[in-house]
Amino acid sequence: MGPTPKKILLVEDEDFIRELYTRQLTKAGFAVKSAIDGQSGLDTLKTEQFDLLLLDIMLPGMNGLQLLREFKTQNPNSPMITILLTNLGQEAVIKEGFELGAQAYLIKASYTPDQVVNEVKNALFGNQPPPNPTAAQ
Amino acid sequence: MEQTAKPKKTLHLKIILITVLAVFLPYILGLLVHPTPMLYFFAAIVSAILSAVTLFWILKPLGILIKSTRDFSDGKLNLRTDIRSGDEFEDVGNSFNLMADKLSKTIQTLESDRAIAISEKNKFNEILSSIIDGIIALDSNKNVIFLNKASEELINYREAEVRGKPIDQIIHLFSGTDEILPKTYCMTSFNQTAKLIGKEGKQTKVNLTTSQVGGTVQTNMSCILTLHDLSNEEELEQMKLDFVSMASHELKTPLTNIVGYLSVFLNENKNSVSKESFDLLNKAFTAAQQLQTLIANLLNVNKIEREQLSVSPEPVDYFVILSKTVEDLRSQANQKGIVLVLIPPTQNLPKVLADPLRLGEVITNLLSNAINYTSPGGKVEIATEVFPTELKTAISDTGVGIPQEALPHLFSKFFRVSNQLQKTSKGTGLGLYIAKSIIEKLHGKIWVESEVGKGSKFSFTLPLIIQSKGILDHDKFVSEALQSGTLNY
Repeated sequence: MGPTPKKILLVEDEDFIRELYTRQLTKAGFAVKSAIDGQSGLDTLKTEQFDLLLLDIMLPGMNGLQLLREFKTQNPNSPMITILLTNLGQEAVIKEGFELGAQAYLIKASYTPDQVVNEVKNALFGNQPPPNPTAAQ
Repeated sequence: MEQTAKPKKTLHLKIILITVLAVFLPYILGLLVHPTPMLYFFAAIVSAILSAVTLFWILKPLGILIKSTRDFSDGKLNLRTDIRSGDEFEDVGNSFNLMADKLSKTIQTLESDRAIAISEKNKFNEILSSIIDGIIALDSNKNVIFLNKASEELINYREAEVRGKPIDQIIHLFSGTDEILPKTYCMTSFNQTAKLIGKEGKQTKVNLTTSQVGGTVQTNMSCILTLHDLSNEEELEQMKLDFVSMASHELKTPLTNIVGYLSVFLNENKNSVSKESFDLLNKAFTAAQQLQTLIANLLNVNKIEREQLSVSPEPVDYFVILSKTVEDLRSQANQKGIVLVLIPPTQNLPKVLADPLRLGEVITNLLSNAINYTSPGGKVEIATEVFPTELKTAISDTGVGIPQEALPHLFSKFFRVSNQLQKTSKGTGLGLYIAKSIIEKLHGKIWVESEVGKGSKFSFTLPLIIQSKGILDHDKFVSEALQSGTLNY
């Protein structure tokens, strides 16, 4: 990894998930900031530039899609990569997220934190498309 | 009875008396004395008066009879005559009384029969209107001849509004999107759950039973529709589905945390904890993952039952999905000492119309089953075969196999093969049910062949996208999906 670590913003309201993803991503060498809801996430995005946004869809107050829409309206040419964090059964929402410019999505229940880190690495450095999420066995 | 009384024959004597009075009285007077014309005239007047009085006296019972007859016909059934003229009029009077007796008895019987009939009818009406199911009777032309109270409420019409009208103009019954019985109500007796649409579009989910009636000419009844309101059952079912959905979603978040933290711990401490400790935690990790699978399956079943399982078919490169899924499960197979073989297709596989995410679920499910039910040293083989309109995938294992009697139920919800297999299996009885629902939504077929001790072979098909216009036109599903890019069911 280069001398300047890639910057990631994690917007996730669930404390344990936020803590764990932050820990793993930091260990993997990323500079991670986190926000616990949509509004504070958007505020952070206004003051700082990030390389990648890990965005939970279900958030209190402003939800993930509203955040993304707001951000894209203000920064239509932002090169920031967006990965949606979803739960099972949100297919319709995922489609909407893609239309708003999200590059990929992860189903939280189906990915271990290390797999999430891998997906993030793939999105930032790799050229290969994110693999199909493995369904529950 | 008075009938036995001897008939009187005195009327002619009375008439002779009048004749005597009217004709012979003045004549005899003339014979006895030589009356002056004045006296003669006077005698004639006297005899005329006497005749008239006698005539009135004779005819008086006739007036009584006429009046009695009129009064009787006006409903005075207790009226009887009391003629004691001693002549035929007395006989007629007695006959009248006799007739009146018999008639009033008959009328009383009729009235009491009528009262019984009315009370019987009321009883039936009360029974029919107290039945909580809707009952509609139709005649041989499928016109409504009877509606009970419950059906009035179900279809939102009063009986008077619909009596005599054709049933298919009054209600519509749908099973899914198909209208059932549009023209052929009661051609055959059947029992089915249907959506009933009545006046002003009032909708109710009902269980419909029809039964043919061998109607007599008088009743002209040909068919009875029974409508059982399922709204309450529906509501309970909805509450159950809501509860399962809510509980599963609530369980998912903490479970995701457990699995996440355990996986990180296990990765980081593989070499720093003792093998025994590692194994203990690894088992907890596996159990938590199984719980995740169960919850995911419950949510999927929940969606199937809400008819909300969405499938977005799009043209997909099938082999990419297949090989990816196989690779994902390879470590699981290796751990158990099972060889996983994906037979490379002899030709490039044409694109299929499928939902990549859902398809991944199906393949994963079939493969995990194959691995679970195969003993170490066994083999699981995945083969593909191209047919003119579809692509077939077969997953065969050298596992324990499935008893013949279990095969027909294998794709049913919560079905599990009950024998010694259960000890080793970890299934929930939901995976195959979900797989079947998904494949059928994608317009494919899924089936199984198996022999106990030799292994099982699960196969499914998916429709091919063939760039032939004829088939595109022919297959609404393919053309619609292609036109819209992705089609959401």
